[in-house]
Amino acid sequence: MSRRVPLWLALPAVAGLLLFLVYPTGYLIALALTHSSLAHPLRSFSGADNFSSALSSAAFVPSLARSTVFAVLATVATTTLGLALAVLLRARGTKFGVVGALLLLPLVTAPVLIGVAWKLLLAPVGGGFAQAFSAIGLGGFNPLGSGVAAFLVILLIHVWQWTPFAVLISFAALGVVRPELLESARIDGAGTWKTFTTVVWPAIAPTQWAVAVLELVFGYKVFDLIVVITAGGPGFATTLSPYAIYQTGLRGSFDMGTAAAQTLIFAVVVGAVATIVTAARARALKAEGS
Amino acid sequence: MNTSRRLWAVRIALAVIAIAALIPVGYLLSLSLRPPDDVLNSRLWPTEWTLTNFTKVFDTIALGTMLRNSWVIAVGAALLAVVIATPAAYFTARRYRGERLLTALLASYCAPPIVAIIPLFFLLRYAGLTNNLLGLVVVNGIANVPVAVWLLDGFVRRIPVEIEEAAVIDGLSVVGAFRKAVLPLLWPGVVAALLVVFFLSYNDFLFAVYLAVTKESQTLTVGLSLFQGDRNVQFGQQAAAGLLGIAPVYVLALAAQRYLVGGLATGATK
Repeated sequence: MSRRVPLWLALPAVAGLLLFLVYPTGYLIALALTHSSLAHPLRSFSGADNFSSALSSAAFVPSLARSTVFAVLATVATTTLGLALAVLLRARGTKFGVVGALLLLPLVTAPVLIGVAWKLLLAPVGGGFAQAFSAIGLGGFNPLGSGVAAFLVILLIHVWQWTPFAVLISFAALGVVRPELLESARIDGAGTWKTFTTVVWPAIAPTQWAVAVLELVFGYKVFDLIVVITAGGPGFATTLSPYAIYQTGLRGSFDMGTAAAQTLIFAVVVGAVATIVTAARARALKAEGS
Repeated sequence: MNTSRRLWAVRIALAVIAIAALIPVGYLLSLSLRPPDDVLNSRLWPTEWTLTNFTKVFDTIALGTMLRNSWVIAVGAALLAVVIATPAAYFTARRYRGERLLTALLASYCAPPIVAIIPLFFLLRYAGLTNNLLGLVVVNGIANVPVAVWLLDGFVRRIPVEIEEAAVIDGLSVVGAFRKAVLPLLWPGVVAALLVVFFLSYNDFLFAVYLAVTKESQTLTVGLSLFQGDRNVQFGQQAAAGLLGIAPVYVLALAAQRYLVGGLATGATK
């Protein structure tokens, strides 16, 4: 089969790649190697200046590790929760239903509004939870007050926003598990967990790995939440890489050269972590024979 | 545990989770029903009720135009992305070393678009597609092809290759087998991918804010962000605008959900 799948099926996607990968990457490399501002891009060749300036930024370098921790934790949380919820939804029938669609709402809400809603909910004075906080003896509690807490709160909000994505895809994936296989597992006397690991998981593994890879990238891309809720603080606690790069770009006369260099460095880090996950995926799928 | 008790446990668990997950959205609804003085009232619900936010918001921003623009862009982008991605996913899942395309697509999706927006801006301006809905359809559609291919690839892999081989033996070409034997089984994946790209494009802010700045071409996400610039943010109106954006999408999700199941699960192939 594999040799006869014609190349042209992939041509439109490849054209899109040229437009969205090759051209912008080339442009980014050019920006990173020149003195560039927003008004005057590509002024003069600057060698590695932009890269050394990128790496001397107090906000940017630690943001790489912070973003990686964030993205990995977010991936584990969203994929696990998403699959669990999808299994629960399937357990009550084949319909996604009103409840399923309700669970999608966080994914459908505009990110700016998600930021606003959570910020107002958590505001220590007058916020939606303020009364509830004082009722349990936490009056004036500011969850965004300390670094670790603020990081965890942003993580929690992100997981809230992106778990529905995993729910939707996992639910659709569970729909292609063949019922006759489930039936024969039941006849063989396999328990719920055994059925899941031997019949369900092999069927949904390719989709679940795809969900994990995409969730990883979503985790690295968090931006709107930071802008609206914490502006990177307190200190640098929630300065994730896209926000750090954005701030570099706004610096001085819009320092696009350094921002481009940071984008390239960031892309290398994301690429490295994504490669680890895709390698794990390839091994797992090969082992499953799919 | 017997089946019906178990079913109730599942239902109750889901209801609890859904309610907890919906607190922020419910809070938006509550904000939209408050006068400005009542926004920071320390409670999840209003102490004073009003509906004026839902009428006033139409004077504050061009909500009608923005909603229409967001829908046109999201529908167009979803169709474009999935039309490009479906054959590409068949390629990546079935062709020897098709994996490499999957990797390249992921790479293009990894880069944060914040800086990549500059070259795209020049490209669109050259094509005369800035401040233009078609421009945003193309940008959002192509930008989300990697997501759609990754999702659909997983669904193609689940379809037993024997189905295609049988179709080819019956005299169909590979592409014919893909269309007649694979595609009908791929529907849940296609619908899921359409929905996901729709949601992602509907909520896109970055492309919209840089590539479409005229009143006629602004989207809802840009309109929502306009509130943030004011000294006294009209949270009530902002929430009202957001909810008016969410409501029809919710209806869309409800309408589309019955296509999420199908293919093998309905026993179409035995």
